[in-house]
Amino acid sequence: MTKAYKYSILYFLSFSILLLISGAMLFEVKIGFSVVGVRDYYLGNSDKFIAAKSADALLKITLPHIFSFGLFIMVLLHFLIFTKERYKAKSRFLVYLTFIATFIEISSPFLIIYGSEFFAYGKILGFIIFNSLILYSTWLLLSSIMND
Amino acid sequence: MRPILSGLLFFTLLYLMGDVFVKHSNFGIFSGAINLTLFGDEDQFIDPLTHSSFLEFWHMEIFFIMMILLTLSAIFIRLSDKSKKQILITNITMLSSIISLLALLASFYLWAYFIELYVLCFFIWHTLASYMALFSLWKLHYDKSI
Repeated sequence: MTKAYKYSILYFLSFSILLLISGAMLFEVKIGFSVVGVRDYYLGNSDKFIAAKSADALLKITLPHIFSFGLFIMVLLHFLIFTKERYKAKSRFLVYLTFIATFIEISSPFLIIYGSEFFAYGKILGFIIFNSLILYSTWLLLSSIMND
Repeated sequence: MRPILSGLLFFTLLYLMGDVFVKHSNFGIFSGAINLTLFGDEDQFIDPLTHSSFLEFWHMEIFFIMMILLTLSAIFIRLSDKSKKQILITNITMLSSIISLLALLASFYLWAYFIELYVLCFFIWHTLASYMALFSLWKLHYDKSI
Protein backbone atom coordinates (compact mmCIF):
# COMPACT_ATOMS: atom_id res chain seq x y z
CA MET A 1 0.00 0.00 0.00
CA THR A 2 1.45 3.39 -0.97
CA LYS A 3 1.93 6.22 1.48
CA ALA A 4 -0.80 8.27 -0.21
CA TYR A 5 -3.40 5.52 0.29
CA LYS A 6 -2.36 5.20 3.93
CA TYR A 7 -3.12 8.88 4.44
CA SER A 8 -6.50 8.41 2.79
CA ILE A 9 -7.37 5.51 5.11
CA LEU A 10 -6.12 7.41 8.16
CA TYR A 11 -8.48 10.28 7.35
CA PHE A 12 -11.32 7.83 6.78
CA LEU A 13 -10.66 6.39 10.25
CA SER A 14 -10.77 9.91 11.72
CA PHE A 15 -14.13 10.48 10.02
CA SER A 16 -15.34 7.13 11.39
CA ILE A 17 -14.52 8.22 14.94
CA LEU A 18 -16.35 11.53 14.35
CA LEU A 19 -19.32 9.56 13.03
CA LEU A 20 -19.38 7.41 16.17
CA ILE A 21 -19.14 10.50 18.40
CA SER A 22 -21.97 12.25 16.55
CA GLY A 23 -24.09 9.08 16.70
CA ALA A 24 -23.52 8.73 20.44
CA MET A 25 -24.34 12.42 21.02
CA LEU A 26 -27.50 12.08 18.97
CA PHE A 27 -28.50 8.96 20.90
CA GLU A 28 -27.95 10.74 24.22
CA VAL A 29 -29.84 13.91 23.19
CA LYS A 30 -32.80 12.21 21.49
CA ILE A 31 -33.17 8.96 23.44
CA GLY A 32 -30.76 8.71 26.36
CA PHE A 33 -28.60 5.79 27.41
CA SER A 34 -31.14 4.25 29.77
CA VAL A 35 -33.80 1.57 29.40
CA VAL A 36 -36.46 4.05 30.60
CA GLY A 37 -35.26 6.61 28.03
CA VAL A 38 -35.44 4.08 25.19
CA ARG A 39 -38.88 2.86 26.34
CA ASP A 40 -40.25 6.40 26.60
CA TYR A 41 -38.82 7.41 23.23
CA TYR A 42 -40.43 4.53 21.33
CA LEU A 43 -43.55 3.78 23.36
CA GLY A 44 -44.27 7.34 24.52
CA ASN A 45 -44.87 8.72 27.98
CA SER A 46 -47.94 10.87 28.66
CA ASP A 47 -46.41 12.31 31.87
CA LYS A 48 -43.45 13.63 29.89
CA PHE A 49 -45.62 14.59 26.86
CA ILE A 50 -43.71 12.17 24.60
CA ALA A 51 -45.77 10.69 21.75
CA ALA A 52 -45.32 7.01 20.87
CA LYS A 53 -43.47 6.32 17.61
CA SER A 54 -45.45 4.84 14.74
CA ALA A 55 -44.04 2.22 12.35
CA ASP A 56 -44.02 4.89 9.60
CA ALA A 57 -41.91 7.24 11.70
CA LEU A 58 -39.49 4.43 12.52
CA LEU A 59 -39.19 3.43 8.87
CA LYS A 60 -38.29 6.99 7.88
CA ILE A 61 -35.31 6.85 10.23
CA THR A 62 -34.43 3.19 9.67
CA LEU A 63 -34.54 3.05 5.88
CA PRO A 64 -31.60 5.38 5.11
CA HIS A 65 -29.68 3.83 8.01
CA ILE A 66 -29.96 0.27 6.65
CA PHE A 67 -27.98 1.16 3.53
CA SER A 68 -25.65 3.60 5.30
CA PHE A 69 -24.72 1.08 8.01
CA GLY A 70 -24.07 -1.63 5.40
CA LEU A 71 -21.95 0.66 3.26
CA PHE A 72 -20.01 2.08 6.18
CA ILE A 73 -19.21 -1.36 7.66
CA MET A 74 -18.23 -2.76 4.26
CA VAL A 75 -15.91 0.16 3.49
CA LEU A 76 -14.29 0.16 6.92
CA LEU A 77 -13.82 -3.60 7.26
CA HIS A 78 -12.66 -4.18 3.68
CA PHE A 79 -9.49 -2.26 4.59
CA LEU A 80 -8.59 -5.28 6.75
CA ILE A 81 -7.78 -7.09 3.47
CA PHE A 82 -4.72 -4.86 3.14
CA THR A 83 -3.43 -5.77 6.61
CA LYS A 84 -1.91 -8.87 8.19
CA GLU A 85 -5.30 -9.62 9.76
CA ARG A 86 -6.90 -10.68 6.48
CA TYR A 87 -6.62 -14.46 6.79
CA LYS A 88 -7.31 -14.64 10.51
CA ALA A 89 -10.49 -16.19 11.89
CA LYS A 90 -10.68 -13.17 14.21
CA SER A 91 -11.34 -10.88 11.21
CA ARG A 92 -14.13 -13.09 9.92
CA PHE A 93 -15.67 -13.19 13.40
CA LEU A 94 -15.37 -9.38 13.60
CA VAL A 95 -17.24 -8.96 10.30
CA TYR A 96 -20.09 -11.29 11.32
CA LEU A 97 -20.38 -9.78 14.78
CA THR A 98 -20.46 -6.20 13.46
CA PHE A 99 -23.26 -6.99 11.02
CA ILE A 100 -25.22 -8.91 13.69
CA ALA A 101 -24.87 -6.05 16.22
CA THR A 102 -26.00 -3.60 13.55
CA PHE A 103 -29.01 -5.75 12.70
CA ILE A 104 -29.99 -5.86 16.40
CA GLU A 105 -29.54 -2.09 16.66
CA ILE A 106 -31.71 -1.43 13.61
CA SER A 107 -34.45 -3.98 14.30
CA SER A 108 -34.87 -3.42 18.06
CA PRO A 109 -37.10 -0.29 17.72
CA PHE A 110 -39.63 -2.38 15.76
CA LEU A 111 -39.36 -5.18 18.32
CA ILE A 112 -40.00 -2.65 21.09
CA ILE A 113 -43.21 -1.25 19.57
CA TYR A 114 -44.54 -4.60 18.24
CA GLY A 115 -43.00 -7.05 20.68
CA SER A 116 -41.83 -6.32 24.18
CA GLU A 117 -40.29 -3.48 26.18
CA PHE A 118 -37.52 -5.94 26.95
CA PHE A 119 -35.92 -5.12 23.56
CA ALA A 120 -34.97 -1.70 24.95
CA TYR A 121 -31.97 -3.56 26.39
CA GLY A 122 -31.26 -4.86 22.86
CA LYS A 123 -31.26 -1.30 21.49
CA ILE A 124 -28.72 -0.08 24.02
CA LEU A 125 -26.64 -3.25 23.86
CA GLY A 126 -26.67 -3.28 20.03
CA PHE A 127 -25.56 0.35 19.93
CA ILE A 128 -22.75 -0.16 22.45
CA ILE A 129 -21.50 -3.38 20.80
CA PHE A 130 -21.62 -1.79 17.33
CA ASN A 131 -19.65 1.25 18.50
CA SER A 132 -17.13 -0.91 20.35
CA LEU A 133 -16.56 -3.13 17.30
CA ILE A 134 -16.09 -0.13 15.01
CA LEU A 135 -13.63 1.36 17.49
CA TYR A 136 -11.78 -1.97 17.69
CA SER A 137 -11.64 -2.24 13.87
CA THR A 138 -10.38 1.34 13.69
CA TRP A 139 -7.65 0.52 16.21
CA LEU A 140 -6.72 -2.66 14.27
CA LEU A 141 -6.39 -0.71 11.03
CA LEU A 142 -4.56 2.14 12.68
CA SER A 143 -2.01 -0.15 14.33
CA SER A 144 -1.35 -2.10 11.11
CA ILE A 145 -0.89 1.11 9.11
CA MET A 146 1.49 2.49 11.73
CA ASN A 147 3.49 -0.75 12.01
CA ASP A 148 3.57 -1.51 8.28
CA MET B 1 -12.99 1.81 -16.46
CA ARG B 2 -12.79 5.27 -18.05
CA PRO B 3 -16.55 5.86 -18.55
CA ILE B 4 -17.34 4.57 -15.04
CA LEU B 5 -14.79 6.79 -13.34
CA SER B 6 -15.72 9.75 -15.56
CA GLY B 7 -19.37 9.35 -14.57
CA LEU B 8 -18.50 9.11 -10.90
CA LEU B 9 -16.25 12.17 -11.07
CA PHE B 10 -18.91 14.12 -12.95
CA PHE B 11 -21.49 13.27 -10.27
CA THR B 12 -18.98 14.18 -7.54
CA LEU B 13 -18.52 17.57 -9.17
CA LEU B 14 -22.29 18.00 -9.38
CA TYR B 15 -22.59 17.11 -5.69
CA LEU B 16 -19.89 19.59 -4.69
CA MET B 17 -21.58 22.40 -6.63
CA GLY B 18 -25.06 21.38 -5.51
CA ASP B 19 -23.90 21.26 -1.88
CA VAL B 20 -22.87 24.93 -2.05
CA PHE B 21 -26.24 25.98 -3.53
CA VAL B 22 -28.33 23.87 -1.14
CA LYS B 23 -26.35 25.07 1.89
CA HIS B 24 -26.72 28.65 0.64
CA SER B 25 -30.52 28.38 0.65
CA ASN B 26 -31.04 26.12 3.69
CA PHE B 27 -28.18 26.63 6.12
CA GLY B 28 -26.03 29.51 4.90
CA ILE B 29 -22.51 29.57 3.53
CA PHE B 30 -21.40 32.87 5.03
CA SER B 31 -21.04 33.63 8.73
CA GLY B 32 -24.08 35.95 9.03
CA ALA B 33 -26.53 33.44 7.54
CA ILE B 34 -25.03 30.49 9.46
CA ASN B 35 -25.19 32.47 12.70
CA LEU B 36 -28.88 33.17 12.03
CA THR B 37 -29.61 29.48 11.31
CA LEU B 38 -27.76 28.18 14.37
CA PHE B 39 -28.79 30.73 16.96
CA GLY B 40 -31.93 32.35 15.49
CA ASP B 41 -32.99 35.97 15.87
CA GLU B 42 -35.77 37.14 18.20
CA ASP B 43 -36.33 40.36 16.20
CA GLN B 44 -36.98 38.39 13.02
CA PHE B 45 -38.90 35.64 14.89
CA ILE B 46 -36.38 33.01 13.74
CA ASP B 47 -36.02 30.09 16.16
CA PRO B 48 -32.56 28.71 16.92
CA LEU B 49 -31.65 25.22 15.80
CA THR B 50 -32.44 22.56 18.41
CA HIS B 51 -29.65 20.31 19.70
CA SER B 52 -31.13 17.24 18.01
CA SER B 53 -31.63 19.04 14.66
CA PHE B 54 -28.06 20.31 14.77
CA LEU B 55 -26.67 16.87 15.62
CA GLU B 56 -28.73 15.22 12.86
CA PHE B 57 -27.31 17.72 10.38
CA TRP B 58 -23.77 17.22 11.67
CA HIS B 59 -24.11 13.43 11.63
CA MET B 60 -25.26 13.41 7.98
CA GLU B 61 -22.55 15.85 6.96
CA ILE B 62 -19.86 13.58 8.41
CA PHE B 63 -21.20 10.55 6.56
CA PHE B 64 -21.50 12.27 3.18
CA ILE B 65 -18.12 14.02 3.41
CA MET B 66 -16.28 10.84 4.48
CA MET B 67 -17.73 8.76 1.64
CA ILE B 68 -17.20 11.41 -1.04
CA LEU B 69 -13.67 12.29 -0.01
CA LEU B 70 -12.59 8.66 0.38
CA THR B 71 -13.84 7.82 -3.12
CA LEU B 72 -12.45 10.99 -4.65
CA SER B 73 -9.05 10.68 -2.98
CA ALA B 74 -8.76 7.01 -4.04
CA ILE B 75 -9.33 7.97 -7.70
CA PHE B 76 -7.09 11.05 -7.45
CA ILE B 77 -4.23 9.08 -5.90
CA ARG B 78 -4.61 6.29 -8.46
CA LEU B 79 -4.47 8.70 -11.41
CA SER B 80 -1.87 11.11 -10.07
CA ASP B 81 1.90 10.60 -10.09
CA LYS B 82 1.83 10.63 -6.26
CA SER B 83 4.07 13.69 -6.16
CA LYS B 84 4.49 15.74 -2.97
CA LYS B 85 2.15 18.39 -4.38
CA GLN B 86 -0.65 15.90 -4.94
CA ILE B 87 -0.24 14.29 -1.52
CA LEU B 88 -0.30 17.80 -0.04
CA ILE B 89 -3.56 18.59 -1.86
CA THR B 90 -5.14 15.38 -0.56
CA ASN B 91 -3.97 16.15 2.98
CA ILE B 92 -5.23 19.76 2.92
CA THR B 93 -8.61 18.68 1.51
CA MET B 94 -9.07 16.00 4.17
CA LEU B 95 -7.79 18.14 7.04
CA SER B 96 -9.87 21.17 6.07
CA SER B 97 -13.02 19.04 5.84
CA ILE B 98 -12.36 17.53 9.29
CA ILE B 99 -11.60 20.98 10.74
CA SER B 100 -14.79 22.38 9.14
CA LEU B 101 -16.84 19.69 10.91
CA LEU B 102 -15.12 20.27 14.26
CA ALA B 103 -15.45 24.06 13.86
CA LEU B 104 -19.17 23.69 13.21
CA LEU B 105 -19.58 21.65 16.40
CA ALA B 106 -17.45 24.11 18.36
CA SER B 107 -19.40 27.09 17.03
CA PHE B 108 -22.69 25.59 18.21
CA TYR B 109 -21.53 24.43 21.63
CA LEU B 110 -18.54 26.61 22.53
CA TRP B 111 -18.00 29.88 20.72
CA ALA B 112 -19.89 31.38 17.76
CA TYR B 113 -16.68 32.79 16.26
CA PHE B 114 -15.73 29.29 15.13
CA ILE B 115 -18.25 29.85 12.31
CA GLU B 116 -15.56 31.92 10.54
CA LEU B 117 -13.20 28.93 10.64
CA TYR B 118 -16.00 26.67 9.41
CA VAL B 119 -16.68 28.96 6.43
CA LEU B 120 -12.98 29.16 5.55
CA CYS B 121 -12.49 25.38 5.72
CA PHE B 122 -15.78 24.73 3.90
CA PHE B 123 -14.59 26.74 0.89
CA ILE B 124 -11.06 25.29 1.01
CA TRP B 125 -12.21 21.67 0.90
CA HIS B 126 -14.89 22.32 -1.72
CA THR B 127 -12.39 24.12 -3.97
CA LEU B 128 -9.69 21.48 -3.58
CA ALA B 129 -12.12 18.57 -3.98
CA SER B 130 -13.41 20.18 -7.18
CA TYR B 131 -9.80 20.54 -8.37
CA MET B 132 -9.15 16.86 -7.56
CA ALA B 133 -12.23 15.80 -9.56
CA LEU B 134 -11.35 18.05 -12.51
CA PHE B 135 -7.70 16.94 -12.47
CA SER B 136 -8.75 13.28 -12.42
CA LEU B 137 -11.15 13.87 -15.32
CA TRP B 138 -8.39 15.59 -17.28
CA LYS B 139 -5.98 12.73 -16.55
CA LEU B 140 -8.57 10.16 -17.63
CA HIS B 141 -9.24 11.80 -20.98
CA TYR B 142 -6.05 13.61 -21.99
CA ASP B 143 -3.18 11.68 -20.46
CA LYS B 144 -2.05 9.01 -22.93
CA SER B 145 -0.17 7.05 -20.25
CA ILE B 146 -3.40 6.16 -18.38
